[in-house]
Amino acid sequence: MDGRMPGRRVLAVVERGYRGALDKQFFDELYLATELHRQLGGLDVLLRGTAVTYALDAPPPPALRIGDRVVDTVTDPRAGLRTLLDADVGVWVEEPALAVLGSPRPPLPGVRLAREGEVAARWKDYRMVFFL
Amino acid sequence: MARQIPHTDVLLTLMGAPHAGDQVTSALRLTQALLERGAAVQVWTCGYATLLTRRGQGPDKPRNLADWNRSHPSLPGLAEELLGAFPDRLHWYGCRFCSDDRGVTEHLPQVMLRPPAGYAANVAAADKTLLIGVI
Repeated sequence: MDGRMPGRRVLAVVERGYRGALDKQFFDELYLATELHRQLGGLDVLLRGTAVTYALDAPPPPALRIGDRVVDTVTDPRAGLRTLLDADVGVWVEEPALAVLGSPRPPLPGVRLAREGEVAARWKDYRMVFFL
Repeated sequence: MARQIPHTDVLLTLMGAPHAGDQVTSALRLTQALLERGAAVQVWTCGYATLLTRRGQGPDKPRNLADWNRSHPSLPGLAEELLGAFPDRLHWYGCRFCSDDRGVTEHLPQVMLRPPAGYAANVAAADKTLLIGVI
């Protein structure tokens, strides 16, 4: 567990990515995770499914033109992950899901790879487990 | 007497809920791209997509506590940007039943509410119809 025992921590599972770049903008599930981390006293996040791509380094999303307006505030999940990591949230990503996508890239610094079922085996150690 | 629906190249029908995926983002980008290329476009919203033009939401999202001074446009704000930039070639319709069913009492002034039974007239007025999402 890399020195961090689950104990009283809470596990948030994120397995559905990309829920509306224009709809959500900053107010996405990772923004919510930051607040839950603060309120609940310690959060770990597990990325699964399509959300595993959040863990791969990439440039910020490009701005969009809508009408005459340039919108440069679309959802940036990597920025959200960096905020979580800076706040000492443990971020895990399921390695098999990354492999299925054929990712040639390692995850962002600070994001840890989880073997299949590895985090599920620790559910009982968490105070609370929920899906975000 | 039935309303005359202006002819358009494309009708985009948006069904279902925003905030569940990237469909609305894709639809707005597609609308913008069509309009930039000179096409005439009509948008018809059904279901929770009728909230896309809810006036009471205002042009901006609530503030970001982590970035207080940066404004973030709301979806109605972006719809209004589109309607303002292409007033002659973009027409926006909302399903009155779906809108009433979800308590959307006031829309952007450019939006025309239509009865569900009138949808066929909109389809007939468009060369091509795309349905995006499920209700």
